[in-house]
Amino acid sequence: MLQPIAPMRALLRITLPRAPAQQCQRLLSTARNTHTRRPTPGCLSPVQSRQPLVQRRFKFKTVEEAKSRYRSGPFSWKAGGLFVLTGAGLLWYFEQEKERMHRKRIAEASKGVGRPKVGGSFDLITQDGKPFTDNDLKGRYSLVYFGFTHCPDICPEELDKMARMFDIVQAERPGVLVPVFVTCDPARDDPAILKEYLSEFHPGFIGLTGTYDQIKAMCKAYRVYFSTPTEVKPGQDYLVDHSIYFYLMDPEGDFVEALGRQHSPDQAAKIILDHMKDWKGQLKTA
Amino acid sequence: MGLLGFFSTEEEKRAADVRKGVVAPTRAERQKCWEARDGFFACLDANNIVDPIKEDKAAAKACRQESAKFEENCAEKWVVYFKQWRVQDIQKKRRLAELEAQGGIKMDVNTDFTARK
Repeated sequence: MLQPIAPMRALLRITLPRAPAQQCQRLLSTARNTHTRRPTPGCLSPVQSRQPLVQRRFKFKTVEEAKSRYRSGPFSWKAGGLFVLTGAGLLWYFEQEKERMHRKRIAEASKGVGRPKVGGSFDLITQDGKPFTDNDLKGRYSLVYFGFTHCPDICPEELDKMARMFDIVQAERPGVLVPVFVTCDPARDDPAILKEYLSEFHPGFIGLTGTYDQIKAMCKAYRVYFSTPTEVKPGQDYLVDHSIYFYLMDPEGDFVEALGRQHSPDQAAKIILDHMKDWKGQLKTA
Repeated sequence: MGLLGFFSTEEEKRAADVRKGVVAPTRAERQKCWEARDGFFACLDANNIVDPIKEDKAAAKACRQESAKFEENCAEKWVVYFKQWRVQDIQKKRRLAELEAQGGIKMDVNTDFTARK
């Protein structure tokens, strides 16, 4: 910076008395060529101060350009557009990250040490009479719902909802979700009855039943509350009280999130799909 | 005629089994029961009857037909359950209205039977 200025100053000292303004102007043009746009000390001499440095502003090629710059200041459509685009991009990115972190927190709340464990090993039979354990669920997400075939209102509604949720998820990620219905009423819901019942909701549902103790262990593992009335005589009708959440389980068999009555099928399916997108481990399909 | 008679007894037997809770109702049977229930509840609403168990005489007088249809199409346990549910649901809605009037914050909770999108 200093090097080009020194000879200029010398030049200035010689020529300044005769044509100060012109010289200064020329000097500025040379200064621009050598990438110094700072006012040189010579131009700030008392003589110079009477002539304002108007010329310094003329860094435009055309008058139009200068006029346009004068009107709009440093703002231009290009700069404005770039600003808005960058802002929108950043906003979108932060929102995405925020949602992802929120889901991650939910998903990981049940992982690790000191967390309540929901889910676990079980040994039941399907509506086709085949054995089915927790190992059959590994490698895929599963949606577990507890209910019973004599359920008056909530279970059938929720099963219809589960069917719609399953269809939406299937359309986007085929074979990654296993919908499971576990009966809380094993005394009446044998495989044949389950099969008939579930066929009215979705052919893809897996219905699970077992002995009373097996079901009780399963419900305990999933922290599901259910109560069969005591002292039921054979052939007598009864209702079963039970929890009405869908349990979303990850491919390692860990609990992810409970989906409830407040979620519409679309909302629930979106939550499931978002968790699937976050999953970094292996996934079975088909 | 014999065939028709056979069918009608078969149907009647099925309906009786559903009422007794011997078999779980199918989707169509559930739908029929729910419609009968809604008809009965609409009649109770029209006659300002909240609890059809406590006010059984008034209910029987005002909504005899609807009540009979309800009991015919639903399992006995369901009839009792829905009647109790009605009382609870009305109380819940009243309480919610009270809270809302006091400036409570409404949360998205679905208590009715209408299916959501």
